Amino acid sequence: MTKQTKVWLALVLGLSLLALGSACTKKGEETTNKSDAAGPKVVYKGATGTVTGVVAFAGTPPAAKKIDSSADPVCAQKNPTLETEDTVVKDGKLANVFVYIKDGTTADGKKVGDFQWDPPSTPVKLDQDGCHYRPHVIGIQTNQKLSITNSDPTQHNIHPTPKKNPEWNQSQPNGAPTIEKTFTVSEVLIPVKCNQHPWMKAYVGVMKTPFFAVSAADGTFTMTGVPAGTYTVAAWKEGGANGTEKTMQVKVDANGSAKVDFSFGEAAAAENKGGLQMMPALEFPMMGRSH
Amino acid sequence: MSRGLNRYAILVACATFFLIIAGALVTSHDAGLATSDWPRSNGQFFPKMVGNLFWEHGHRMVATTVGILTIGLLIFILAKESRSWVRKLGVFALLAVIAQGLLGGLTVKLMLPLAISTAHATLAQLFFCTTVSLAIFTSRSWMNATPIAEEKGSLPLRYLCTAALVTIFLQLIIGATLRHSATWDKQLPTELILAHVGGAFAVTLALGSTGITVLRRHKGISFLTRPATVALTLLVVQLILGLSAYLVRAASPNDPQPLNPMVGVTVAHVACGALVFVTTIVLTLRVYKVMPASDSAIDLSARPLES
Repeated sequence: MTKQTKVWLALVLGLSLLALGSACTKKGEETTNKSDAAGPKVVYKGATGTVTGVVAFAGTPPAAKKIDSSADPVCAQKNPTLETEDTVVKDGKLANVFVYIKDGTTADGKKVGDFQWDPPSTPVKLDQDGCHYRPHVIGIQTNQKLSITNSDPTQHNIHPTPKKNPEWNQSQPNGAPTIEKTFTVSEVLIPVKCNQHPWMKAYVGVMKTPFFAVSAADGTFTMTGVPAGTYTVAAWKEGGANGTEKTMQVKVDANGSAKVDFSFGEAAAAENKGGLQMMPALEFPMMGRSH
Repeated sequence: MSRGLNRYAILVACATFFLIIAGALVTSHDAGLATSDWPRSNGQFFPKMVGNLFWEHGHRMVATTVGILTIGLLIFILAKESRSWVRKLGVFALLAVIAQGLLGGLTVKLMLPLAISTAHATLAQLFFCTTVSLAIFTSRSWMNATPIAEEKGSLPLRYLCTAALVTIFLQLIIGATLRHSATWDKQLPTELILAHVGGAFAVTLALGSTGITVLRRHKGISFLTRPATVALTLLVVQLILGLSAYLVRAASPNDPQPLNPMVGVTVAHVACGALVFVTTIVLTLRVYKVMPASDSAIDLSARPLES
């Protein structure tokens, strides 16, 4: 056996072992274990209030783009009018905007992220129905279960592409059991795609605290149980490389209701110079996300 | 020499080219992870091929066919070929196609890490180069080629061809890295685009000067001028495709899905790149065949047979 042959045999053997090793890896196995749950923390027991608001779209929204789903006859048959959902506007109000408390302190001067916020026991649901994700944008707490179902008579695969949480990709044929996953690190927002149907996109906002919401079809959102204090509220809309985020300051009084409205669109940018505050790229340890 | 072996080697080379196109279609459609398992797709060897699974599983089926053809090629070579270095090249081809399959599996299981995806794309080109070389080495024109001489005092054509070949190969690696660094819905990294554009200039210079030199020095010797002419023509086509690919790819993040113009142009750019590479390999091999390292005592009137 020549030296060259030996080298190639060693290379093939090495690659075989690597392939075998990777094949033995459990699906969804986490490769990074950095978690937001570091050290014992105190449960917040003080007064709370509510943050409500409306997200508007100023100007003429971009027209939704028609999706060609003919590559999968099931999609074309079940949902023949598939369109993009990046800017869903009705009567000037914008849906699918992820609103969250980005930073701030409670009335007694403590960071809201320094308290312990246990995740709800009820899972957040994400369905694949009509060859698109429903809902399009969701919020979830760290370590809260994400329950993923497939209502389509075709096969999908769910593929989140986070930057801070472990990436995973899992096929889910029609009739396959519900997939349950959790995210351990806060991240705004994680794109989710289906590599079988490349138009399918969803976004998951993972938060350490429960203070987040997604604007409804009428643009409204509500965050309840917010500790009294002063906060930076952020609104994130998909589009472009990393989405667009706007922030505003808000003071939440005990048992009070603070209102904060956002506006997106080119007209909003022109009208609100000095009004809405465009925040520069900042890293907030509480949320673990930079923009 | 076996004509049957040569025809079979050409068949394998053509199948490999088709496999490169199939692989490029997977990348352009962002179909590499259409199924999370490997070698089966969604737990099946013959899944329902809808959506992007058509491209990913189709690529696997073509790859399997090429693998089987390569096994057949090695058997054919061992049975018919007496030259030990050709027999070794046949073994190399089989090992390369096995390694390529494993890299393909790895890149799926590890969710398309850039290094492995790029290695998979690069090895594809090397495997294509190997199958084309086998087709060349088993051809009648190769067997019957007779030496010719370089012009005295000029830069040896061997050097020019080798430089062009190395430049093209480096450019292919940069191109593979660029293609796998971002999916259709994200902008490609500017620094890699610039590197690839720089590579295009280098390839144009290296291959252009090599091809023109061949045409100028060895006019009438189609054994050399034919691959040189094809390589220069493909180079022009490739430059046009490259510019087109840049334009459609820059626009694709605004599209709702990978659209046919983007897919068609980017795949054509990959395919044409592969053809530029192998045509230059054909030219280089032929130059090495008919132009000895030392050109002393070579009969300038000697002419190889037509291919």
